[in-house]
Amino acid sequence: MAESHDDNPALFEDDDHRAVYIFTPAGHSGLPQQEKARPVKRRKVTSKRASSSVAAAEVVQEGEAETERTQTTTTTTTTTTAAAAFPRLFGGKESAEAAELRRQVFDTAWPVLDGRIKNVLREANRTTLEDVSSFIRDAEGDATRGTRIPAGFIITGPNIASQDLLFEQLSEALGKATQARFVRLRAAGAPNLKAALKKVIRDATAQVSIGGGGSDGDEDAEVAFGRDGRKYLDYDLEGLHAFLSAQQDPSKRVIVAFEDSEAFESSLLTDLLALFHSWQGRIQFSVLFGIATSVELFQARLLKSTARQLFGAKFDVVQADLVLDNVFKSAIAGTQATLRLGPTLLRNMLDRQRDQVAGIRVFISSIKYAYMCHFYANPLSVLLADEKSLTRQLLQPDHLQAVRTLDSFKAHVEAAVDARQLNHAQSLVEDDSYLVKQMAEQRLKKQDYLMQLLRSLHLLTSMDLVPGRFTDLYVSALAGGLDLTPIIDAIKRLGADDVPALINRLLTAIQTGSPDLDLPGWEDEAEDLISSLSEIRDEIEALAEQAREKGQQSLKSKFTAQSKVLRTTVVAQKVQLSQDTAKLTEEDKAFGKAIDSLVDLLTHHIYSDPIDSLFLHEAWAYDAEAPYRDVFVPRPGTTFERALTRPHGYLGCECCSKTTGTLSATLPTTCILYQLYLETGSLVNVADLWSAYYALVGEDSDVGLGEREALVRFYRGLAELRMMGFVKQSKKKADHVAKVKWLL
Amino acid sequence: MPPRRKSTDQHELVERPSRKRPLPADDPYEVPDEDDAIPSAKRQRRQSQDGGTLSKRNATPRKQVDFLHSDLASVPEEPESPTEQTPSKKRLGRPPKALTGGTPKSKPSTPSALRKNLVDDTPVKLRGLNGVDTPSRRGIADRSARRKSARALIDRVLEGAVSDDEDEEQQIAREIYESSEQEEEDEENTQRQESLADEEADLAATTPSKTGRGRGRGGRPPGSATRRKKSPTPPRDLPPHEQYFYQNKPGSNKTSNNTLSSLDLLTHEEYFSLLREPGLQREPHEEQIQALQSHHAASFPQWAFELSQGFSVCLYGYGSKRRLLHQFAEYLSSSEGQNNNKIILINGHHRTLTIREILTTISLAVDPTFRLPSGNPLAMIQNLFSLLSSSAPKPAARITLLFTSLDSPLSPTLRKPATQSLLAHLSSHPSISLACTVDTPDFPLLWDSSLRSSFNFAFHDCTTFAPFSGGGPPLGGPVESGATASNEMDVVSEVHELLGRMGKRAGGKEGVAFVLRSLPENARKLFGLIVGEVLVAFEEGGGSGEFVGGRGESPGVEYRMLYNKAVEEFICSSEMAFRTLLKEFHDHQIITSHKDSIGTEYLSLPFRKVELESILEELMS
Repeated sequence: MAESHDDNPALFEDDDHRAVYIFTPAGHSGLPQQEKARPVKRRKVTSKRASSSVAAAEVVQEGEAETERTQTTTTTTTTTTAAAAFPRLFGGKESAEAAELRRQVFDTAWPVLDGRIKNVLREANRTTLEDVSSFIRDAEGDATRGTRIPAGFIITGPNIASQDLLFEQLSEALGKATQARFVRLRAAGAPNLKAALKKVIRDATAQVSIGGGGSDGDEDAEVAFGRDGRKYLDYDLEGLHAFLSAQQDPSKRVIVAFEDSEAFESSLLTDLLALFHSWQGRIQFSVLFGIATSVELFQARLLKSTARQLFGAKFDVVQADLVLDNVFKSAIAGTQATLRLGPTLLRNMLDRQRDQVAGIRVFISSIKYAYMCHFYANPLSVLLADEKSLTRQLLQPDHLQAVRTLDSFKAHVEAAVDARQLNHAQSLVEDDSYLVKQMAEQRLKKQDYLMQLLRSLHLLTSMDLVPGRFTDLYVSALAGGLDLTPIIDAIKRLGADDVPALINRLLTAIQTGSPDLDLPGWEDEAEDLISSLSEIRDEIEALAEQAREKGQQSLKSKFTAQSKVLRTTVVAQKVQLSQDTAKLTEEDKAFGKAIDSLVDLLTHHIYSDPIDSLFLHEAWAYDAEAPYRDVFVPRPGTTFERALTRPHGYLGCECCSKTTGTLSATLPTTCILYQLYLETGSLVNVADLWSAYYALVGEDSDVGLGEREALVRFYRGLAELRMMGFVKQSKKKADHVAKVKWLL
Repeated sequence: MPPRRKSTDQHELVERPSRKRPLPADDPYEVPDEDDAIPSAKRQRRQSQDGGTLSKRNATPRKQVDFLHSDLASVPEEPESPTEQTPSKKRLGRPPKALTGGTPKSKPSTPSALRKNLVDDTPVKLRGLNGVDTPSRRGIADRSARRKSARALIDRVLEGAVSDDEDEEQQIAREIYESSEQEEEDEENTQRQESLADEEADLAATTPSKTGRGRGRGGRPPGSATRRKKSPTPPRDLPPHEQYFYQNKPGSNKTSNNTLSSLDLLTHEEYFSLLREPGLQREPHEEQIQALQSHHAASFPQWAFELSQGFSVCLYGYGSKRRLLHQFAEYLSSSEGQNNNKIILINGHHRTLTIREILTTISLAVDPTFRLPSGNPLAMIQNLFSLLSSSAPKPAARITLLFTSLDSPLSPTLRKPATQSLLAHLSSHPSISLACTVDTPDFPLLWDSSLRSSFNFAFHDCTTFAPFSGGGPPLGGPVESGATASNEMDVVSEVHELLGRMGKRAGGKEGVAFVLRSLPENARKLFGLIVGEVLVAFEEGGGSGEFVGGRGESPGVEYRMLYNKAVEEFICSSEMAFRTLLKEFHDHQIITSHKDSIGTEYLSLPFRKVELESILEELMS
């Protein structure tokens, strides 16, 4: 990889002065030169023209070649996956097939999840979408509306990253539901009335023309829309009207969505709304406002007369937290997830969502990145392939060797030794085929483990007794295992009426499973549990019945708080506290017993081990947080500072290794200047900076640079400091520059 | 190299306030604790001698540290540098019992301005800094101890001679003075700086530039050792925000008045001819930089994979990453069997780069016969997208944008939010992927969460240490070595622009010649006239740069006089025409003008005499 890149450095110098150009690889220069009709770039240098026309020619050729190759591919993922293969691991010893198989597993695993996630996102906003569309549809027929503009106020909350998705869906849904043209406006894209109108008209007319193929792409200041060939200015709503008439669109609806309505100037909004209002008879305008704060605040920004032109309704959006939970359930916890993300990573990701309001898309990207990392860099990920493709031949000795180095292997063997299964342990270590067999068995064990985990979680959550969110529960279950302990008390404290309800909930949970987690019901496998649960329920109901017949108000168990009575007695002027168990009836005692058995039963069924207790979990669980942190949460300040203050950390050179944080003449120039810069005040005297620098590297020093030579380096260093944005020009004093950065 | 030694000494001295705030974990100037321990231990003893209430001392956590350190009081101190002339040397091996001496040497003396400053401000600032300290009895006692010791010190300095037996007392006085001083150091520095910086500036001005290093931290030339050991250096370990406010306080900007006028600045010619010299040909860390480069190159497949999965790759870290990106382009085009991938390189450091140019080039890459109608960039993007999706015969042409310096501070437009959001929009298209490099440490601030999620960045630390400006002249010219180098900036112009020495783009005398060629005859004549006049002024004024406030290189010519001469030579007939001609020069920044105190306008040329002469020669020929 690395060695193939030491090509001629002078190669690119040609293109240096060009801001943008199509890259022509060096190897391709030998291709037959095809003369193109017109130059690709309007540049003066002739040699450039030749080379870029070669590029253009190739583009054509490549395009043609591509037509045969890709016919069915439409999405990005599928087009690209064919090309880049995974590198071979084990220092290149991994077989190409194994690497290819990893790639395949990734290619099949991710799209499944991706589809599910998209589904979740679509579902999340579904009710909002439906409400908005029906509002827009009904508003037309609403007699109370008059000529007012239908306006939907969508309370999106402060997370602008999630708004994008919502409006995308809105435009899709409303376009379908109401046959309207949908225009999205953002404050940045519509700074003034003219620009906003242009955008509205352009978007409204473009939506059809792309589909109808009528777009000529010729965007002049005047656009012809109507059949009569009249031309309109491109910010004239008359043009839009003519266009809509020409399209024979009976409804002539246009929906304009202000995505970040707080960011619009209120005068602009006022003007736009007034204009829309005056066109209301000819074009059916509806408006939508994405509101991050509240409708009241928004209204306060509008003129009263403008507000009177609106016919509004308010819609709430599902909050990001809930969406996150759903995505989490389906993509991370769900049975469809091929790869399990480990607790450390998950906690990191969730924390980031909470602390930095990173947006659901970033979260999804993070999941995807974890998948990518796992299959790209872990040779054992090949074990996740299905049994058909994972043949014995595919498993190289290196794979087995790798398995034997795993922590979980070690733990497993040690456990076997402790359990006196010496043969088993010995075979694991020595016998390859035995190990392979064991690995195959682990596949089932993993399935069992996951099922057990998810069912336990599902039962737990369906009891409605656990505080906290599902995400936290899941993460802690992975990290430290799961059992009933935290809620035993809660169960015990339940009254006689609640327990049967609880049991019913559990039974339903078992029957239906969880669609969120993609967990089917498991009635067949849990007959014991079901029958025991029903028994307990029946028993308690019977007991309650008996108690009622006896005139007892409600069943009490020894666990309920009321049964304990705190008595205070004054003995010899001292208060004595004593606890006393209230009298329990027969039924109460039986009830207590029933609850005990329920707890036992549930304890027996709801449990899970930590994920890292499983042999071979490294193959199917990914828990490295470092790549995630490095890739998504960069810390450029630290990086820069480290590079500039301790360059040998990167360079690994002898000469600078002794100088940790102190100045030395051998340091790169910019590093020296940076250190001096750190010591300066807000104004830097360049003359002094120079003399300090020269004193360090000048003729008297170890390095002994001549003045001019040192000056060249000094120039470079200073220019680089500027390039990195550390200093800027200052007019306060001659030969001074201003310090710009204090915090890296 | 004595000057450096000196300044490291000072680091140790100013280290003391560090105990106030947590040190950065790997502070380069970290000093062993023993050094800290001694003065604080002394203070503690002195305080208990004062009968100060110990319980009060525990009020602030910092003081508890003092207690901890008191155990170490007997640890011998680090030997001081031999250049240190002050009696502090005597501290070595001094028996601790001497501390009980306190501050007996407090004979009355006239309070100096310095001392007054210190005393006046102390109580208020004390409270302001620590928040919890109340002006207790102890505090007052401290202050008076300090006052006495300050006085003692000043007397000592005034008397000059130091006899041996007095050394110890003086030492103690100094220590008391300094140890209590730490408390208010942050605040007090202003005053001390004001008083000392002046002296220092004088000093710096009189010493030759090679040694007189009047940087903010005050490199003291040898011989001024009688001055107080504390330099007006701001405490080094302030957290960055504190340091910002500290350094931006009005009046705290004291820098020396040195200018670069004694130094011959580099011209483009000299720069490039120097670059060819063997000493500069070789980068000191060439090999290591290469190694670093190939280390990064090893992750090309990974980046390619990330790109193919819809991520944008963002490379950050110190050093030019341009070369790396070029190699990546090579890699992408060679390794991928996929022919439909078109790579477009974009140089963000180009000042002329526009988003339109990028869009046009992309459309050319997709379909060379298609002419993207120019207009509003947003509209262009939409057209481009429809081109990408509608180019039916070749589905999903993949475009890879390789963008160097996405955040380049040199580009006038790139850092604007509008540009960034356009780029984000562009990169969010499924068949366009973006790999970019960023050069500033604050690049994450360019994007809000919405932009960031549409960019979908995967960040990688790619510190290359490669110089941004390489071995060859910017245009053409073979590059003999320096494989890691690239020419991302015109170093000489950058620096001169930074110093305000030169016009923006019309650089050097070539620039002037170029500008003049495009101007009418009259303008050329006028410029010749100005050059001539300025050269005359050079002769008369002895070439003193001070004439124009030290900014320009040439003396100024009076506007009136110039106008009259221009009229005489029939260059122009009205002042209006004269102004118009001058405006042209102003626009290219080949002349500068300023007014003096009585409002007379002067015109001057931002060139040196030699340059002016050659310009004049060219004009005459």
